[in-house]
Amino acid sequence: MKGRLMRSVAGIAAIAVAAATTAPLLAAPAGPGDAELMADASSTGDVLTYGLGPRAQRYSPLTKISAANVQKLVPAFASSLGGEKQRGQESQPIVYDGTIYVTGSYSRVFAFDARTGEQKWKYEARLPDGIMPCCDVVNRGAAIYGDKIIFATLDARLVALNRNTGKVIWNKQIADYQAGYSATAAPLIVKGMVITGNSGGEFGIVGAVEARDVNTGELIWHRPVVEGNMGTLRGKDNGITGKLNATWEGDLYKTGGGATWLGGTYDPETNLLYFGTGNPAPWNSHLRKGDNLYTASTLAIDPDTGVIKWHYQTTPHDGWDFDGVNEFIPFDATINGKPMKLGAKADRNGYFFVLDRTNGRFISASRFVMKTTWADGYTKNGKPKVIPAGRPGAPNGTEKGQAVFSSPSFLGGKNWMPMAYNQDTGLFYIPSNDWGMDIWDEPIAYKKGAAYLGAGFTIKPIAEDHIGALRAMDPKTGKIVWEYKNKAPLWGGVLTTGGNLVFTGTPEGYLKAFDATTGAELWKFQTGSGVVGSPITWEQDGEQYVAVMSGWGGAVPLWGGEVAKSFKDINQGGSLWVFKLPKD
Amino acid sequence: MHDRRGFLSATLAAAALGLVPGLAEAAPLTRIKALGVLRVAVYKDNRPWSWRNDGKLIGIDADIGTALAKALGVRADLAELIADESVDDDLRNGVWKGGLLGFQAADIMLHVPFDRAFAARNDQVAIVGPYFRESFQFACVKGEIDCNAPPASFRGHRLAAEIDSIPDFYLMGTAGGALAKNVTHFLTGAEAVIAITDGRADAVLASRAQVESVLAERKSANIARRTMPLPALPSPGWDIGMAVKENSRNLGDAVEGILAAMVASGELKAIFERYGVTYTPALAA
Repeated sequence: MKGRLMRSVAGIAAIAVAAATTAPLLAAPAGPGDAELMADASSTGDVLTYGLGPRAQRYSPLTKISAANVQKLVPAFASSLGGEKQRGQESQPIVYDGTIYVTGSYSRVFAFDARTGEQKWKYEARLPDGIMPCCDVVNRGAAIYGDKIIFATLDARLVALNRNTGKVIWNKQIADYQAGYSATAAPLIVKGMVITGNSGGEFGIVGAVEARDVNTGELIWHRPVVEGNMGTLRGKDNGITGKLNATWEGDLYKTGGGATWLGGTYDPETNLLYFGTGNPAPWNSHLRKGDNLYTASTLAIDPDTGVIKWHYQTTPHDGWDFDGVNEFIPFDATINGKPMKLGAKADRNGYFFVLDRTNGRFISASRFVMKTTWADGYTKNGKPKVIPAGRPGAPNGTEKGQAVFSSPSFLGGKNWMPMAYNQDTGLFYIPSNDWGMDIWDEPIAYKKGAAYLGAGFTIKPIAEDHIGALRAMDPKTGKIVWEYKNKAPLWGGVLTTGGNLVFTGTPEGYLKAFDATTGAELWKFQTGSGVVGSPITWEQDGEQYVAVMSGWGGAVPLWGGEVAKSFKDINQGGSLWVFKLPKD
Repeated sequence: MHDRRGFLSATLAAAALGLVPGLAEAAPLTRIKALGVLRVAVYKDNRPWSWRNDGKLIGIDADIGTALAKALGVRADLAELIADESVDDDLRNGVWKGGLLGFQAADIMLHVPFDRAFAARNDQVAIVGPYFRESFQFACVKGEIDCNAPPASFRGHRLAAEIDSIPDFYLMGTAGGALAKNVTHFLTGAEAVIAITDGRADAVLASRAQVESVLAERKSANIARRTMPLPALPSPGWDIGMAVKENSRNLGDAVEGILAAMVASGELKAIFERYGVTYTPALAA
């Protein structure tokens, strides 16, 4: 009796599946909505968001792969991104309903079968000739919503594809690539809106955060991040950002920089978006007196209106190219016996910040790199104790100026690669780099065929044995609990799990696993090219999987000097690698 | 299909793809003549040197590139190059390597500074054929500013400059930053000059070619040009030449010969005059 009932239920299920597969055109196929995206951190059967949840903690509670058995991890399959475009795979995959969606360099999207690795479809954006991305041809990931996969292109467009077919649903220009704008970050989806930042050249642009209707791509609000510029909401003026000319002279705010090129995070509890902003323009800080708000800052923005609720500037009056775009990760902790809603950011400038995420109040700033020459810590009010001799001089144009040694280098104590927060250990895992640069006035400089006051620089290591360092930071004490040193600069994202593990890749080609508590290296696998993507994990058919993109590239190989010695023999590539434990 | 013309075009197409080893490895000049095309890189949006007017690419460099190709007996393929952060980067993208996104390296790039120290650090290219002496020029609306007065006296007037250029650095920083609040920024030097011709600024600091070409086109009568040097201006001027790949010196030699003939015949001067710019030979020429 029982057996027969089971069979008939199974029969009904089979009919339902057949109906669904034969009638895909009748109704838009369902898919993850707002509720699913907001719950991504706890739903272990999929990866729906950049960062494994809107807070982007990059933490999975999965425990099947753990510090006790990770040594047995083996590849399940690898899928190539093919063609000649084998460089710069900085993407984080999305996993849903048996499909892995991953973006590739040169504005491409691939859908692979999550069980076999076979390609289901691919989409290649047709890029115009006239684009000049500053820092390689990377893309950092896609977003999923309903029947759509949404990603941004090097020519500053947002493209929504049907996730089953790869066909374009909508395609919107978000900025003018001819004016120097580009887009490389993974979009964030909140309340049915696609939230994006912008990226572009070093001058002539103003950073902004924008919200668009996820179904049409139509603009809902626009918020410039440099004070004095007007925001909009549904086509109407919505107040200027900050106060005109409070921290900028003359008309420089109109071209003040502050590109929000790395995207943002969202905390459903406080209903705030958190976006980091880039360095101010022009590069020579002596020509733009003042703090230059809100460049090199973290902003909290109301997703419903695009209004800035608070700001915290990590590098006032930046003169070192320490842009402040790094991810601000919401987390909760008890400090001095008081439970607090906090957020943390590891900045290009070498300091790890903890703020009260409800109001932006400064809690602490702790150095996470070997050396900072530009400042000696922060006051209890959150202002850097700037070392005046550490600021590059004003160019005089007549002779080669005195070289200033600056650490971190302009590529930062931490660059774009996202850190992770483990809810069990209470630690942040920061992919960092120990390097410095000599910077001097370069009298013989030319730009667009004309004489120019440039700066010469060389990036160099500051330690014998390493540049990269994966560091475990205790946000409550500001102490580094453990570190793993790597010869080449680290340039990939981090994943941490309930199995007491931390995963990250190296330019030398390894995906590595570490004990989250002790930092002991437990496992590594050679992927054939440098790993500069962000790993993910999910559960499928009762097994836990780990995936990462392999494909050396990004900004590091574009700059040489002594640092290049650490990666000159690394080969190009472009593959998705997927791992699991062998079945008993 | 088997006639001579069909064979020739097939050979040339194959050569363009690098499929005919003899031609691909031939001396650059031979290869250019065999293909019938000289690919010339010029800057995008660089008025009066190379810019789009009603969709058509015009300018001094565009005309020089066309003239060089004509003298070589081939067609000119003018390729607009987007300026990167420095000319060193432009030489990589435009001449010896090509762009990351498929910009095909050109046979020759125009508007390259002709400067010994600059050339020494760009050893992948040969910089040849200096064809102009450029410098910065200060110009003022008559009656608004005494153009030859000390810069500190310009305080309170609207001063136009291209953002992130030497004129910008100079005006923002001179007299201890006294003029910083008065500087209005534009995306190109030509736009900054246009601003003084239509009442949006009282004075401009831009390159001499930018100033002369805009004033000639606008036929502006009420503009004065500074004749005194600007104190402590960080650039005395610079020579402009062309770059070819380091291994394309026979192309460089041929181009220098053509340029000499264009100077002698007055053709080069006529090209500059077409855009209202006074031809000034390079100091190195």
